[in-house]
Amino acid sequence: MQAMTEAQIKITVAGVAKQFDQAGSPVQALSNVDLTVRAGEFVSIAGPSGCGKSTLLYMLGGFLMPSAGRLLVDGKPISGPGVDRGVVFQEYALFPWLSVFDNIAYGLREKGLSAHDVRTTAERYIALIGLAGFEHRFPRELSGGMKQRVALARTFAYEPTILLLDEPFGALDAQTREIMQDELLRLWRTTGKTVLMVTHDVNEAVYLSNRVCVMSQRPGRIVQEFAIDLDRSTGREAVVLSDGYTAIRNAVWLAVRQQVTIASRSVP
Amino acid sequence: MSAGALFAARALLSRLLPFALFLAAWQALATSGLIAANFLPSVRAVAGALIDLGASPSFYADLGITLWRSLGGLMLGAVIGIPLGAGMAVSRGVDGLFGPLVKATYSLPKTALIPLLLLWLGVGSATSMVAVMFSTLLPFVVYTYHGIAGVPQILVWSARAMGTAQRRLLWKVLLPASLQAILTGLRIALGFSFVIAIAAEMIAANTGVGKLMFIYGESGAYDYMFAAVTAIVALAFVADRITVSISNRLLRWDDIENRLG
Amino acid sequence: MVMRPVRAIARSVMRGIVACYPLILLAIAWEAVARLGYVRPVFLPPLSAVIERMIPLTLAGDLLQPLAVSLYRAAAGLALAIVLGVAIGLLMARMRAVRWLIDPLIAFGFPSPKIAFLPIFILWFGIDHLTKIALVAFTCVFPVIVAAYAGATTVPTNQLWAARAMGTTSLALTWRVVLPASLPSLMSGVRVGVPYALVTAFTAEMIAGGGGLGGEMVLAQRYFETPTVFAYLLVMLATGYLIDHGVLALRRRVLRWHEDAGARDL
Repeated sequence: MQAMTEAQIKITVAGVAKQFDQAGSPVQALSNVDLTVRAGEFVSIAGPSGCGKSTLLYMLGGFLMPSAGRLLVDGKPISGPGVDRGVVFQEYALFPWLSVFDNIAYGLREKGLSAHDVRTTAERYIALIGLAGFEHRFPRELSGGMKQRVALARTFAYEPTILLLDEPFGALDAQTREIMQDELLRLWRTTGKTVLMVTHDVNEAVYLSNRVCVMSQRPGRIVQEFAIDLDRSTGREAVVLSDGYTAIRNAVWLAVRQQVTIASRSVP
Repeated sequence: MSAGALFAARALLSRLLPFALFLAAWQALATSGLIAANFLPSVRAVAGALIDLGASPSFYADLGITLWRSLGGLMLGAVIGIPLGAGMAVSRGVDGLFGPLVKATYSLPKTALIPLLLLWLGVGSATSMVAVMFSTLLPFVVYTYHGIAGVPQILVWSARAMGTAQRRLLWKVLLPASLQAILTGLRIALGFSFVIAIAAEMIAANTGVGKLMFIYGESGAYDYMFAAVTAIVALAFVADRITVSISNRLLRWDDIENRLG
Repeated sequence: MVMRPVRAIARSVMRGIVACYPLILLAIAWEAVARLGYVRPVFLPPLSAVIERMIPLTLAGDLLQPLAVSLYRAAAGLALAIVLGVAIGLLMARMRAVRWLIDPLIAFGFPSPKIAFLPIFILWFGIDHLTKIALVAFTCVFPVIVAAYAGATTVPTNQLWAARAMGTTSLALTWRVVLPASLPSLMSGVRVGVPYALVTAFTAEMIAGGGGLGGEMVLAQRYFETPTVFAYLLVMLATGYLIDHGVLALRRRVLRWHEDAGARDL
C-alpha cells in the first residue's frame, strides 16, 4: 500500500466536460469530471447507462476532444490516439480480414519490430490466452469469448503503459465473463500496467479493481470513490464469498443504484 | 418564405453548384483553344442548339418515338415479368419450369438479341420494343420473385388466421408486402429500357433520338449532337425521379429506410 | 466401398440434369421446330446447324479472335473504372468537399443511358479500341464509386479507433483498414460492373463496328447469315456465364474471412 500511494500520477482528468451537438440541440454528456489514476492502479468507473463513462474513456483514448477541462497523461495533455494508451472495445473491434495471428501482430508491426520478434511475441500471447492452434482462423470463426481474448491479447501484446477497457466483457455470457475476468487479472498482475475500466457490472468492478469511481447520471461526473483492499491471492471463490467483498460490493451497488434512481426519477 | 422552404432552397442550390462548376470548366476548356472547336463545342453553342431543338417538332417526334419504344417495351416486360416472378415464388412447379430458363438468360447481354431481332422483325419499332421487353423481363422477374419470397411467413399466417382465403393471399398480402422490391425492379428496368431503346436505334433504325444523334454526328453538327445527348440524359434523370417519387408515395406506409433513393 | 463415390457422382449428375432439363427440352424443341419446316431457315436455323457453323468460324479465327478483342476492351475499361472508382469513392468518404462536388454528378449520371455518350466518344476517339474502353470505363465507374463510398463509410468506428490507438497514421489508415474493410462492398460493385462491362463492349461494337464479337455479329446480320448470328449469340451467352461464375469464385476467395462467406449467392 505504501508503494501505491507513492506511485506517480499517470492520468489526470481535471474539470472535463463534453457536449455533443445532435441535430441542433446540444447534449451534455459530461460535466466537471475530476479523476486521478496512479501508475499500476486498476480503476473502474461504474454508473448508470448513458452516464457518459464510455465518452470519458474515448477522450482518454484521444478519439474525442473535451469541450472543457484537461486530460493529462504523465503530465502532458492528450492530443490524439497513441500507442501509450491501448484500448479494448466492447465489440472487440477485431479486423475481420486478418487472422488471429495477424490481428495480434498488428500493433507489433506498427511498432516496427522485426519479423522474428513479431512472431515470437504474437505466439507467446496466443499461447497465453489459450488459443494455440487457432492462429490462422478468422474472427468470424471464433466464439465471443475467443474474440475477446484476441482483443485483449492484441492490446497487451505491444505493451502500452495504460489500458483503457470499455465494458470489455459486456457481450459475453456469465461463465465466460468470469473466466475472462480472471485472465485479465492475471495479465494485469504480471505486467503491472495502469488499467482504467468502464463497466456497468458492479460485481466485476469490485472484484477486479483497486478503486471504483461511481459516476452520476448524465451529465456525468464522479460522485463517489471506493478504495478496495481485497486479498485476491486466495482465488475467486474465497474472495467472492468473503464478507469484505460483500460489504464493499453492497456499498458500491447502493451508490450506483442511487444514481440510477435519480436518473429514472428525472425522466419526465 | 418559411424557414423550411429557405433551408430546402439552400440545399438545392448547394447540390446544383457542382454542375455550375462543371459547366464553367467545360466552357473554359472549350474556349481555351486547347481543343479544336469541333471536338468540344462551347457551352453556349450547345445551349443554343438545345434551345433550337426545344422548338423543333421533329425533335419531339423523334424523342416521342424513342419514349414510345422504351416505355412500351417496359410495360410488356412488366406485364409478363411480374406475374412470372410471382408465380415462381409461389409455385414450386412454375419455379422448376422457368427457373433454369431465367438463370440461363442471366448471363446473356440482352443487346445481343438486337441483331437477331433485326433479322426477324426488320428495322423499326417492333425490334426496339421487343428488345426492351426482353431486357426488362429479368429485373421484373428477379425482384418480384425475391420480394414475394421474402415476405415473412408470419404475415401470411396472420392473414389466414384472420380469414383470408388462400387464393386472395397474393393480392391482399404478398403483393403489398413485396411492393418495395417490385418498385425497385421497376426503377432498374426503366434504366435498362432507355439504354436498349437507344442502342437499338443506334444499331439500325430510321427514326428516334439514337439515330438522330448519329445523323448529327455524321453531318458534323456536333453542337446539335451534344445537345441531343444532354436532352436524353436529362430526360432519363427526370423519368427516374418521377419513378422514385411515385414509388415513395405508394410506399408511404413503409419504413423510411425502405424508400427508394 | 467403391460404390459410394460412384453413387455420389451419379446423384450430382442427375441433379444437374434435373436443374437444366427445361433447357434440354428447349434445345430439342428448337431443333424439332426448325427441322420440321415450320419456320424458314433464315429466321430459325436448326440448333445443329448453328453448332456446325461454329467449327469453320473458329478455324478461320472469326470466333476466338473477336471474342478476345471484346474481352480485352471490357477488361481494360473495367480495370480503369475500378482504379478511378475506388480512388474517387474513398476520396469522397474522406473529404467532405470531394463528396459535395461529386455526389450530385453521380446522382445525375447514374440513371442516364451511358450508351447515349457513344457518339461523343466516337467523335473523340474514333471507332477502335479506345472508344469502347472509354465507354466501358464511363459506364462501370458509377457502381464502383457507389460501392467504394458505401464500403468506406460503413467501416465500424471502433476498428478505425483501434488501429489508430495502435499507431496507424491517418494516411496509412486508408490503406491498412478502410480498403480491406470495404472489400465486400467493392466486390459487390465489381460483380455488378463485370456484366455491364461486357454488355457495353458488345453494344458499342454493334453500333460503331471496329471488330469484336458485337461488330462481327452485326456484320453477319447484315449479310443474313443467321446461323452465324446465332453462333455468336451462344458464344456471348457462354462467355457471360463463365465470367460470372469466375467472379463468384474470385469473390469467395477474396472474402473467405467475411462472416457471410458460407452463404449461397443468387
